[in-house]
Amino acid sequence: MADEPEHLLLRRYHAARAQGNDPEAARVWERLTLRNFDRIKGLCATFRFAGGTGLPPHETGSAATEAYLRAIAMGAAFEAREIGQYRAALVRVVWNTCHDYGRKELRHEKRSRSLDTTWDDDGEGGPYDAALARYDEHLRAKAEEAAEAEAGREEAERLARWGIAQVRNDNYRTVLELTWFEKLDADAIAGRLGISVDNVYQRRRRGMIELEKILRAPRD
Amino acid sequence: MPPETDRILSDFVDAWNAGRRPEVDTYLARAPDAERDALAGEIATFLAFAPAPDFDDAALEAIRAEPAVLAAAAALETPGGLWPQLLPRLRERAALTTGDLAARLVSTLGLGADREPKTRGYLEQLEAGALEPRGLSARLLDGLARVLEVPRSALEGAGAVAAPPALFRAEGAAADTLRADLDVIADALAAPAGSEWDDVDELFRGGAR
Repeated sequence: MADEPEHLLLRRYHAARAQGNDPEAARVWERLTLRNFDRIKGLCATFRFAGGTGLPPHETGSAATEAYLRAIAMGAAFEAREIGQYRAALVRVVWNTCHDYGRKELRHEKRSRSLDTTWDDDGEGGPYDAALARYDEHLRAKAEEAAEAEAGREEAERLARWGIAQVRNDNYRTVLELTWFEKLDADAIAGRLGISVDNVYQRRRRGMIELEKILRAPRD
Repeated sequence: MPPETDRILSDFVDAWNAGRRPEVDTYLARAPDAERDALAGEIATFLAFAPAPDFDDAALEAIRAEPAVLAAAAALETPGGLWPQLLPRLRERAALTTGDLAARLVSTLGLGADREPKTRGYLEQLEAGALEPRGLSARLLDGLARVLEVPRSALEGAGAVAAPPALFRAEGAAADTLRADLDVIADALAAPAGSEWDDVDELFRGGAR
């Protein structure tokens, strides 16, 4: 039987905490994080320092395991209520963990390589912190609207939707929306839009590159 | 015709959305060397915000069988929480033995060197899951975070997911029989600590301060 959607698990986690039922909150948090194990593992595999170097292959699995445990520990006091914010927090945990592993490599290799220059070496920030801050401002400005939209599956993807809505090129944006929110594969998108599959590949990648710039843009 | 990398990214996205649990390394290996890092960045962007796939039962079972997932699930059932899983990893990554960690901790917290053996003993208990994490002090967490070079937030939740202590529940005659004994135990626990209670005990058993 399929597990509950992520946004419902997050809501149940907060409900359990509000009732002071910490064991239930921990169990629900574990189910939520389990659903994101592959995301954590994949993010460790894609992690790159500023120079383009990733973690050594023999370290990626260990980093993923530690990041997963740290993500579980995050459930002790997680305040954000949107699943997009939860995912951004996971990214932060993964990056912190990979960064810590990079520090180990530096210690072992005794060389002074600069780590990711976009990263606060002593802090706990993440690559999407600026986007999150801008998103928080957006949320505050739309407080009433957001309250009305509290229910419904759509809320689960609001952060992604907010980012994708800023992609300027209509063609790229449409392909991203069909990919993210309808989970259509390349063939189905090609059929829906009446374009070639090669064209879908191209629009998807270019759209993703634009989205990456939007989400990583420093705060104004 | 678009570059091969466009197709690889799309293949990954489709496999993810379909719940086929794609391995990132497999897809990166298909990319030309010159484009591999760029592709990694694009996959990372997707993964950061992609909806979780609708996993089928077999996929969920496979995820539950992952060592990290098993370890975390076990932590929920044990009084030591995540500490027995997390602390040895962090310590080994920092290339420290338990003794080294005790020595650094004692030094970082400005305690006397004679406190090392006792600190080491407590650290061993913590790694074995034999120490109640709720007793760990804020000062200890600060010290550990500094020595292990991790954010304090990585440590402070490690004990919070621990199984709660057992509760006494009884009714009627059974409750009456045990109540007097429990009162004696409670009085003993509330009594002032003996003379051997020191700053190391305070660190590991004194609780949040």
